[in-house]
Amino acid sequence: MATAISTAPDLAWTKKISSPQELASFRQAILASLDPNAPRIRVCCGTGCKAVGSLDVLEAMKTAVAAAGVDVHVMPEVKRTGCHGFCSRGPLLTLEPQGLFYQRVKSEDTAEIVQKTIIGGEVIPRFLYKPPGSKEAIAKVSDIPFFAKQTKLVLKRVGRIDPFDIRDAIAAGAYEGIAKVLAEMTPQQVIEEIKVSRLRGRGGAGFPTGVKWESCAGQAGRHYVICNGDEGDPGAFMDASVMEGDPHAVLEGMAIAAYAMGSDRGFLYVRMEYPLAVQTLTAAIRQAEDLGLLGQNILGTDFSFRVSVSTGAGAFVCGESSALMSSLEGKVGRPRAKYIRSTEKGFRDSPSNLNNVETYANVPEIILRGGQWYTTYGTERSTGTKVFSLTGNVHNVGLVEVPMGTSLKDIVFGIGGGVPNKKELKAVQTGGPSGGCIPIPSKFIDINVGFGKLAEIGSMMGSGGMIVMDENTCMVEISRYFINFLVEESCGQCTPCREGLTRMREILSRITQGEGREGDIELLEEIGQFTNNFSLCGLGTSAANPVLSTIRYFRDEYEAHIRDKKCPAGVCKPLYYYEIDSEKCTGCGVCRKRCPAAAIEGEKKKPHTIHQELCIKCMECYRNCKFDSIRIM
Amino acid sequence: MKIIMDGKEVAAERGQTIVEVARRNGVYIPTLCHVPALEPAAMCRVCTVELVEGRRTRLVTSCNYPLRGDAEIRTDTPMLRQNRKVLIELLASRCPDAEALKELAERYGADLNRFPAEDRQCIMCGLCARVCERVGGNVLALCGRGVEIRVDTSFGRLSPTCIGCASCVQICPVNAIRIEDMDGERRVIVRGKEASRVQLRKCTSCGIHFGPVIDLGPVLDRAGEGGVPAFNASVCPACSRRSLARRLAERHFEQHAVESPDADEEG
Repeated sequence: MATAISTAPDLAWTKKISSPQELASFRQAILASLDPNAPRIRVCCGTGCKAVGSLDVLEAMKTAVAAAGVDVHVMPEVKRTGCHGFCSRGPLLTLEPQGLFYQRVKSEDTAEIVQKTIIGGEVIPRFLYKPPGSKEAIAKVSDIPFFAKQTKLVLKRVGRIDPFDIRDAIAAGAYEGIAKVLAEMTPQQVIEEIKVSRLRGRGGAGFPTGVKWESCAGQAGRHYVICNGDEGDPGAFMDASVMEGDPHAVLEGMAIAAYAMGSDRGFLYVRMEYPLAVQTLTAAIRQAEDLGLLGQNILGTDFSFRVSVSTGAGAFVCGESSALMSSLEGKVGRPRAKYIRSTEKGFRDSPSNLNNVETYANVPEIILRGGQWYTTYGTERSTGTKVFSLTGNVHNVGLVEVPMGTSLKDIVFGIGGGVPNKKELKAVQTGGPSGGCIPIPSKFIDINVGFGKLAEIGSMMGSGGMIVMDENTCMVEISRYFINFLVEESCGQCTPCREGLTRMREILSRITQGEGREGDIELLEEIGQFTNNFSLCGLGTSAANPVLSTIRYFRDEYEAHIRDKKCPAGVCKPLYYYEIDSEKCTGCGVCRKRCPAAAIEGEKKKPHTIHQELCIKCMECYRNCKFDSIRIM
Repeated sequence: MKIIMDGKEVAAERGQTIVEVARRNGVYIPTLCHVPALEPAAMCRVCTVELVEGRRTRLVTSCNYPLRGDAEIRTDTPMLRQNRKVLIELLASRCPDAEALKELAERYGADLNRFPAEDRQCIMCGLCARVCERVGGNVLALCGRGVEIRVDTSFGRLSPTCIGCASCVQICPVNAIRIEDMDGERRVIVRGKEASRVQLRKCTSCGIHFGPVIDLGPVLDRAGEGGVPAFNASVCPACSRRSLARRLAERHFEQHAVESPDADEEG
């Protein structure tokens, strides 16, 4: 098996680009060397597809193309969005210039694809995508609703370029922004443009980026520009895809920020669990430095900016800005009280500007097209687009980029394709472990997703995680899961977070095991409010949100657990059992054959029964019954 | 700068923390992890107060919040009292017998037995670690994360850098750290576990052990010009006093002998 993606092409022999004009001619030269009608095969090499062997497919494809002797340029393509639910079924290919989209491709299929599609121009139906509930296969990327309904500003190059080859990125417009800034803008103008765009931090808090830059720029001392790539929310992979798929967007955004704030040093703090992002970023920095797009005297001007990648050590709390800076300094990653802002006294006690990956990735486009253009996307208070990672009980799991203010309905049903297995949608969890659960069905399905709106209903935007939950989700168990996650990830220094979370986990575990007591809900609320009020950092002050929001909207479910000792969703094992509805059961025997504990008995074509003492509650019968005859009691 | 604390205007200087202003003006704010000599860490959170800035009210910890402009502070609202009560109840499960908590429990009506006790003998105020960094040999630190966090030495081993100053013993509000001087060695024991062992200095005169043998370099560096001469002594304080007294007496008699030739007769 191939272990590494082709390493960066060596550009050290290339002359450094010494002016913005030279960058433009360099781009023209690359574009001129490309034939727009030449066939190109893009193999998705994102983490998801890599896991199912896309690197092997890439190698096999190269071999197949070489054997066939056609003139085609194979490039590895990182396309996280391409994973929309099919990651588990195999690597993805896109074929240019036809714009074909192939899924479930195996290494042994490559020769056939080269022969039939590339040479013969024929579409192979078995690789095509079929939307849920439709018999019609879709051949083109642009016709697939999942892609058609998105607006890609941040992800525009992700999946289209080879992240390990800067020439590809330059051809697609990378570094045009920094060239414009260096040629014709003053630092004040850059900040002004960002303020006009009303861009808000994408890390979760939504602080206006321009205001932050301005306050940092106004401070005396050496300035640092830091990028937060420590994306740790369960189920979130937006920043990973940007760093892996288009590292230059982030680097260019950081360089522009550095210019605006008079900084010459930047750091990318990337979590250790993203090895591919570290590879792509490191390669991208080296190539950009080789070409004079980063490092000393960028594009022949006086502006210098050196960036390096620093990896985290696996702590969720290091995504918090002060803990991140502490970790970057080599200390223990524990947050400090931010009564003096990082923009004043942050990394190494110097003015430091910290933004999220997605925030920086937005910057070059705003500079190129103007802040005013950016405000045409999104709503009045939340401009631009947001990348969400749509996961959970939804057909098209993947990354979606939509304008702010898009309704939940459009995201979950329009792009996500709705809930699989004919289940009811129960809730959507947003904002990671610090966010809340939005109950659906209710008026909230039409809520416009933006910074203000989500906070109003007790959840938050967070970094963009979005977990869809169907009717078989127990909300008590969900809140126990998140609290358990946070107990392990709390830094432990402040009392409310450390002690409060421990107690809440204890109470929630008790409830899910059927040992809930009268007064537990009130106790959870009391501790939860205390934790949110008195904690030191953002992790603590939002840690109780999963509990408080589920109590707020699903109180009856908590009560069912505590008073009736029942888990209505059928998740908490001691609190439910399965029963076969003898009127609906046709005696097909599927459940009997499927049951791993041999707990189901019954004659053919006669209603079956479950022996409760044998049942291990694995859900196998429930999931496989075609007649809906197995009920959760 | 106009600072209003609990409805009364109080004297304050720019940059002072809320707790400094409160102490100076006789306003009570509870603290567990704060001593004025050390950098505030804001870990125990019991000193949280309400800060009204214009139209919004924020909760801030008074030990480390620097006042930089006009502000109104409320130190004892029902909301604060309620949250402090829960805080003390939660902490009490770690350290049920701590006197410091009993006092606060009485003040805020907290039930020390509300949560099941797990006697960890430590309220995680971190004072020992902070004082050890400033005064001692940087031996004790907060190790681990989340619920696992604890005061310990590096890798839980006997520390070779301890200077045996016992600052940690002095500062611990729940008496979880003690020292034992035995067989010419000083042991620092943190929650029943030995953290370090320092050799004791033996008095060249009477033979008792009287203080730790330490590497003076770093201590003198920190103490600055003048240093701490007592650390160089080779005799114990008792013998030192005794020998001083003897020298004084000898000198007295010598002087007497010179002044009056018939001193011997008088003596």
